[in-house]
Amino acid sequence: MDFSTLTLEIGAAALALILLVVGLFLPDGKKGQVGIVAALGFAFLLVLSFLAPGSKGPFFMGQYMNDGISVLFKQIFILGSLLVTLMSLRFTRRFEDARGEFYVLLAFSLVGMMGMAGATDFLTLYIALELMSIPLVVLTAFEKGSMRSTEAGMKYVLLGAMSSAILLFGLSFLYGAAGSFGYGAVMAALTGGQTGPLVVIGGIFALAGLAFKVAAVPFHMWSPDIYEGAPVPVTAFLAVASKAAGFAALLRFFPVVLVPLGLGMTTLIVLIAALSMVLGNLTAIPQTNIKRMLAWSSIAHAGYMLLGVMVASFAGAAALVYYLLVYLFANVGAFAAVTAWSELSGSDEISSFKGMWKKSPLISTVFIVSLLSLAGIPPAAGFIGKFFLFVEVAHKGYLWLVALALVMSVVSLYYYVSVIKTLVSEAPEGETSKADIPLALRAVMLVSAVSTVVLGVLPGPVMGYIRNILSTLSS
Amino acid sequence: MGTITLDHYIYLASALFAVGVVGVLIRRNILIMMMGIELMLNAVNILLAATSAFNGDSAGQVFVFFIMLVAAAEIAVGLAIITMIYRNTGSIDVKDYSRLKG
Amino acid sequence: MNEAVLLCLIPALPLVGFLLTGLLGKKLGRGLSSWIGTLTVAASFGLALTLFIAHPDGFAASGLGIQLFDWIPAAGLTIAFGLMLDPLSLIMTLVITGIGFLIHLYSIGYMKHDEGAPRFFSFLNLFVFSMLLLVLADNYALMFVGWEGVGLCSYLLIGFWFTKDEYNAAAVKAFVMNRIGDLGFLLGLFVMVATFGSLSFGEVFAKAGAMEAGAPALTLITLMLFVGAVGKSAQIPLYTWLPDAMAGPTPVSALIHAATMVTAGIYMVIRSHVLYDLAPIALTVISVVGLATAIWAGLIALSQRDIKKVLAYSTVSQLGFMFLTLGVGAYSTGYFHVFTHAFFKALLFLAAGSVIHALSGEQDIRKMGGLAKKLPITYITFLVGTLAISGIPPFAGFFSKDAILAAVYARSPLLWGLSIFAAFLTAFYMGRLFILVFHSKDRTTKGVHPHESPWTMTVPLIVLALGSTAAGFLGMPAVFGVPDWMAGFLAPSAGEYAVGLEEGTEWLLMGISTVVVLCGFIFAVLKYGPGKVVPTEDKKTRGPVRWSLRKFRVDEFYDALIVKPLFALSSWLFGTANDRGIDGVVRGTAGLVAWVGGRVRLLQTGNIVFYLFAMTLGVIVIAAVAALG
Repeated sequence: MDFSTLTLEIGAAALALILLVVGLFLPDGKKGQVGIVAALGFAFLLVLSFLAPGSKGPFFMGQYMNDGISVLFKQIFILGSLLVTLMSLRFTRRFEDARGEFYVLLAFSLVGMMGMAGATDFLTLYIALELMSIPLVVLTAFEKGSMRSTEAGMKYVLLGAMSSAILLFGLSFLYGAAGSFGYGAVMAALTGGQTGPLVVIGGIFALAGLAFKVAAVPFHMWSPDIYEGAPVPVTAFLAVASKAAGFAALLRFFPVVLVPLGLGMTTLIVLIAALSMVLGNLTAIPQTNIKRMLAWSSIAHAGYMLLGVMVASFAGAAALVYYLLVYLFANVGAFAAVTAWSELSGSDEISSFKGMWKKSPLISTVFIVSLLSLAGIPPAAGFIGKFFLFVEVAHKGYLWLVALALVMSVVSLYYYVSVIKTLVSEAPEGETSKADIPLALRAVMLVSAVSTVVLGVLPGPVMGYIRNILSTLSS
Repeated sequence: MGTITLDHYIYLASALFAVGVVGVLIRRNILIMMMGIELMLNAVNILLAATSAFNGDSAGQVFVFFIMLVAAAEIAVGLAIITMIYRNTGSIDVKDYSRLKG
Repeated sequence: MNEAVLLCLIPALPLVGFLLTGLLGKKLGRGLSSWIGTLTVAASFGLALTLFIAHPDGFAASGLGIQLFDWIPAAGLTIAFGLMLDPLSLIMTLVITGIGFLIHLYSIGYMKHDEGAPRFFSFLNLFVFSMLLLVLADNYALMFVGWEGVGLCSYLLIGFWFTKDEYNAAAVKAFVMNRIGDLGFLLGLFVMVATFGSLSFGEVFAKAGAMEAGAPALTLITLMLFVGAVGKSAQIPLYTWLPDAMAGPTPVSALIHAATMVTAGIYMVIRSHVLYDLAPIALTVISVVGLATAIWAGLIALSQRDIKKVLAYSTVSQLGFMFLTLGVGAYSTGYFHVFTHAFFKALLFLAAGSVIHALSGEQDIRKMGGLAKKLPITYITFLVGTLAISGIPPFAGFFSKDAILAAVYARSPLLWGLSIFAAFLTAFYMGRLFILVFHSKDRTTKGVHPHESPWTMTVPLIVLALGSTAAGFLGMPAVFGVPDWMAGFLAPSAGEYAVGLEEGTEWLLMGISTVVVLCGFIFAVLKYGPGKVVPTEDKKTRGPVRWSLRKFRVDEFYDALIVKPLFALSSWLFGTANDRGIDGVVRGTAGLVAWVGGRVRLLQTGNIVFYLFAMTLGVIVIAAVAALG
């Protein structure tokens, strides 16, 4: 066994433990410095992921895999963790005694996500999924005194446990048919004709469990409530990293385990994708809370991204990874802007955005760029991301699906633009206190906005990198 | 008397799973709902143990241990949240928790 | 210098201007950033002119193209960031940068007292950049970026300028309506990808050429692209954003209406003429929509009271003329009208801006009148613009409109009859506007002292007035014995076109159209001239104006058999059909979507038991679907 395969996972786990210990030894007033250590650690991991992504290949008797897909996803997770950490530095000040734990949980969750990207066995998948989810539940309920935060935590833990149970039930049926937990063995058994109704039911239950993680309709209902209740940086983390982890697992699981079950599975995922696009975009329109609106928009985006999973090809995977990256920067930018603004105004209602343009052009610009990217307007990156995805779908022959996705993205413009409209309109009263944005948050906003524009104008290099990693490290 | 086949275990596990689901759906007390989910997980455990034995492969039984461990962790977090929520509102009836909606 | 480098610099300069004024605007100050914005566009114009002088044939033979880098490397479809220059894009570039420069120059004076000037100029530059990208792109994907870019910039220019709600609403409307059109455009692109496997002009046209005329895929693609053009070029049913977009500052209106944005749809159709030639159904649709828009908007323009709205509807109407021409297959003739229209519409808008500026922001023509002596330069130039747009010889509009009418006649005399009616309307409403603003009794609000504008504003007016006079000579009909330079120049990009009418017929048509537009103009002068009824207040309005404001009434039908029904129609079109009809459908759709959203939202009850139930139900339904499917 070559432990260098697990370089990044070991690094992330070590970082989590180090943070735990560092938090222990820091004096009471200085626990916040754990965040700085965490940021440095994540930055180190990010650099490491480019320099030494770990040797390629299966690990632990085929239960785990380090290949192009997992390296790219790990980079996305680390990037998300880094940006969220930087966003949180000011926010965590309010938790006198538990500042350090925030980052420890973040790091443990990161380990779980990495596991989801690498899992090629039901057992590893399940453990990784729970390792990601349990810290996320705690993070969601982190504001102990807040009714909303605790209610969100309660909903997350109940619904999450239920979805895990459903997933496990499905997996155990698949195990019963294939006699093994390994994806490869399951595929071999299923393509060998072992597809009774029980196996199909097993596949559907498993798909439902994973669809829950990416918040696709009809397993989406947790996400608006939890996004709204959770602290803003946690919401950003949920929207970006946890969703990406769900897609990483789906990207491995779908073509290997579900596609052999027959055409019905592709139809199902198309159905789920279409429903997510329609329902997510429609319900986002009447929202008055920005976090809720972004939650519904992220449900819609899950629909677009499921199309990339559905394509089940090399190009589809590349397009999906690119889209996730675009989506990450757009969401982090939007949530960072919300964080900065709610520090200023104390509210995350959309109506409180009035006068933002006058008060802080920086926050507004970042916000607008992010929203335009989510809406898919060039030159923001969202357009290119959608283009890559939809071209693959068109090649696959699903032109009606492309048409639906395009129509829904016009609908989405309705609510994105109305946010922009609110933030450029005049404030009811003319108070002009200067915006005081922490340096780290400012950096996050700038990095997100600039990356969004660069990814939209010059997609070549990054796409080239994705293709390169996918092909050189693919199994 | 016929022998007990794998099908019997599948029926038992499915029935147990359904009982768990119904329990989660019809109860309003968060603690009881948690127990319903435990029941669902135990159904999975029975199914895994049985298929493992019939397939002559021990991996399924190992999985059962992992599920028990992880479920314990999950329940621990769940109970902690229930404690917190009870401190905040003095109720563990889910009907009282629909502040977040729309 | 290498010509390809010059080509790259043409769009790059306004981009640099945008970045400079956008990022450093506050440090540079108002004056400096205004001039940076203006001079970058001037430099682009200079470059384009250099290329044109070096290649008077517009690179017809060789073409000038450069592929900078692989822009979108999708699998099996790599799209290059490529620019190209051919006669069509060269002349578009000249118009955009030339007229754009004059509008920038004009804006220096117009925005002198505004603290937001740097931001304004940065957006203007971005606008010019997007439009240049649109016309210089060598593939549809890059064209679409420019296409979206002008939409975005118009939103920024209309909406960001005034933070008041009503302007903001107009901006959002412009943006969303444009997006509806863009949706069609994008769908067309994806069908194109699926059909041809490419988006580059060269490849698509080559592959399309090998296809049979009337192939369903081609019809679908061309119709989808035309939906995009309908949105961008404000045709029925997506035209209502354009008059509303008048909320923006006047130079922006001039830029949108004359040099950029609305002409994008025309450009796209001409550019894709290879596809359209193979799709007769699409061409028929284009000519019907174009003619309908020309008449419809012309009727609405009759009763407008806002000086800019009259001009806005007149733009919609003129665009209709252009599409009609494209629909009958006379691409270069259609473009000729774009070309002349750019001059006189920019002129009219800037002159209107000068009037508004002089009257401290008054836009209601009922509160104008008698401005001829107070604003002499504006007066003369506006007169030139009016004569040109009305199609009175020898101004530019005469030649382009005459060419259109001839081309339409060659296709169908019935269409020609309807078009000449639309031409009559143009002359009438422009005459009305001109007389009410400059000649009739002085109705300006007391305390307002009209003054002529500064030189940066009047110089562009004079230049444009010269252009509006002379531009028509570039495309004189064959009967004059002068070669039609425009048609010859554009032929390599837009295809050969000859009217094919007999000389006598052509002279006759020319005579008829001249008489008709003169009638329209004189009629307006008689109706609104000195000493005539002036529509001061709603209550006091009499005769035709009342008709334009009220609903149809039978007892006055005998009064004036022609004008009054027209005005009634105009008012009905504007009031009922416009508001409740077309606009209503658009708004209603939006409202419906929002309503559905509001209903669906109720599912999210906040009760976790329901969520758990929905999840279970979801699994069951999906299992059922899988079992059945």
